[in-house]
Amino acid sequence: MDRRYFLISAGLFTILFGAKIQETQKSKLFSLFESLIPTIEAVQNHLFPQGGKIPSAKEMNAIGFLKETLLHRSFDRDTRDFVIEGAKELIARTDGKFVTMDENQKERALRAYEETDYGSSWLHRIMILTMEALFGDPLYGSNIHQSGWRAIGIFGGEPRPTSRYCQI
Amino acid sequence: MKHFDVAIVGSGASGGAVAYMLAKAGLKVAVLEKGRLIDRKAFSKDEIAYCRRDIATPSLFDEYHIIEEKVDDKWITTPTYESGWSFWNGNIVGGSSNFMSGMFHRLHPDDFRLKSKYGDIKGANVVDWPISYNDLEPYYTLVEEVVGISGKYQNHPFEPWRSSADFPQPPTDENEVVKLFDASCSTLGVVPLITPRAVLSRNKGHRNACYYSNFCGSYGCSSGAKSSSREALLFPALSTGNLTLISNCYVKKLESTQDRVTCAVVIDTLTNKESKITASLFVLAAQAHESSRLLFNSKNQFYPNGLANSSGELGKNLIFSAGGSGQGELKKETLKMITFDKLMQTGLFLNRSVLDWYFVDDKNEGRFKGGSVEFMFEHQNIISRAVKQCYEGEKLLWGKALGERLVKQFGESKSIRFEVFNDWLPTNDCFVSVDENHLDKWGMPVGKLRISGHSHDLKVGNYIAKKCEKILEAMGAENIYSSVSATPPQNLIAGGCRFGDDPKTSVLDRNCKSHDLENLYVVDASFMPTGGSVAYTWTIYANALRVGEHIVRLFEEEKRKRV
Repeated sequence: MDRRYFLISAGLFTILFGAKIQETQKSKLFSLFESLIPTIEAVQNHLFPQGGKIPSAKEMNAIGFLKETLLHRSFDRDTRDFVIEGAKELIARTDGKFVTMDENQKERALRAYEETDYGSSWLHRIMILTMEALFGDPLYGSNIHQSGWRAIGIFGGEPRPTSRYCQI
Repeated sequence: MKHFDVAIVGSGASGGAVAYMLAKAGLKVAVLEKGRLIDRKAFSKDEIAYCRRDIATPSLFDEYHIIEEKVDDKWITTPTYESGWSFWNGNIVGGSSNFMSGMFHRLHPDDFRLKSKYGDIKGANVVDWPISYNDLEPYYTLVEEVVGISGKYQNHPFEPWRSSADFPQPPTDENEVVKLFDASCSTLGVVPLITPRAVLSRNKGHRNACYYSNFCGSYGCSSGAKSSSREALLFPALSTGNLTLISNCYVKKLESTQDRVTCAVVIDTLTNKESKITASLFVLAAQAHESSRLLFNSKNQFYPNGLANSSGELGKNLIFSAGGSGQGELKKETLKMITFDKLMQTGLFLNRSVLDWYFVDDKNEGRFKGGSVEFMFEHQNIISRAVKQCYEGEKLLWGKALGERLVKQFGESKSIRFEVFNDWLPTNDCFVSVDENHLDKWGMPVGKLRISGHSHDLKVGNYIAKKCEKILEAMGAENIYSSVSATPPQNLIAGGCRFGDDPKTSVLDRNCKSHDLENLYVVDASFMPTGGSVAYTWTIYANALRVGEHIVRLFEEEKRKRV
């Protein structure tokens, strides 16, 4: 049941994330996160590429969804830490070159990362967050024009939400 | 400070039922609910909000439980903020009844006398109930009428007797897949039954009939068709003018003398302001593990081991629903009897139950209490179904291959799921206490749950699951699997405040009143000594209506005495 095993083993319970996010902390988090965005976005674009049977991460602005989701107070803060640390680990493993790699190199780098339990878990988490974008309600800024739903022929139920997270 | 006749802690199925009975009888009632009120219009089918984030339950960093499980013969404790295994269930007005699937069954008469019928099981604390099915039957029927249950009575050896001829509303509409299901059962000699649903098939007062949204369980109902405490009981109770609903109200503890509860100490969760609420009588309906926790946290000079705990039985014999689940896929290319288009028609229910193995007398396995099974479509949540397709064996599947699989999976198959419910035998290794070293955001000790299932539970669950797999096979399903484990469903919790006639071995009397305190009742599933082999909710509703009626009589007698 210990889904946070990877988070704890990475020693991530830092002061930054140890309490409710105050405004200054939020700004620090935002800056840190911004620096990792190109890498995470490149991973999403590789996992959910253009030209397939479902809309791509890029077309659906999946990175915009991921960014807003991770910064929302309803999101599990351990998972947020995990996304950040996992991206930093990927950058370290690829000497900061992941974003500029070609697709074959990215595939090899991600498959190698997947060989580690930590990397496999992180990649799965990025896939989950991207699928939330592609198949969640368009209100959250992705699944634009319900393209994700249209691709698989299944649609969300009625009534659709009129505010994100039921206004919390 | 306003004084109430009765203060009820919790607004879920049991709290709502008691509030309904009392308010209708003219008593002045306060319902204290920790969560907020979500308007019916806000019950959208937003998978991200309702199913993937904790918007209707507390953050586990603010409020959590400590879970003790046996690993390699050692008890290992894990706070739920580490495991993510939440034991909160719908902390909003109406409680978890807002989010139930509403597959309802009555207990069988023999569930009330399990020990007498089947004798002792080594390592299990099985006892008979102090009341019988006959005592509860009128209230099961009242639930059908007041709360609203749709269905069709079918005679079956293990279907309990009923005082009315049939349900007040016909069953909800069915997907054509029931033809295939019923025929497949028939080939195996299994009797399929239409599942009674706490979902209206016809309009009822302020509530509209089901509109077949395709997203029922785990979501609030935007038509009012689902028979939640909120729709069916609290709104009618509010309309009497006798009910004061206090949401965002956390109850820290109860204060008492030797004989009576005097007040509830509460915190307004929006302002953090502490105050006291007084009433002539108090009813706990906070869900089983939390009602026990509140009593432990209310310990005082008269009850140093927890309020109402002179017996030492408080928190003991916590039970869940044992069993498991399984699934199989109906594929477009191999589907028989019905068209694929009909199978894919969204919203309509499968609505089938099997009671054939409620009691088992098997020449190979012996004679034992079995369980019930619900058959349904796999939950239609899109994201969770998509996420299941992420793996190819041990490896993650991504890229165009993942897209192709998703399109094929969603477009060319539909999964049928079954859920097995059997008794979770009460044992000495399953109980709730509090952990003084772990405090919630209001500084109160959190609930500590030691969880352990009896090996007999697994035997029964596996026996039934294998039978169910045969039904899926007969339907032509592929990729069939089932999983039965000792991991409990955290939304089906009972016990901890057993009712019984002996104050030395039970916390509550047969009317769910504390043996120790004359004005304290516990009406959630805490009272249940054994859980039966169906989901508890109908029984919780029925028993709470029974207790509510009893409390009304008490006040009436008191009034007569004064006159």
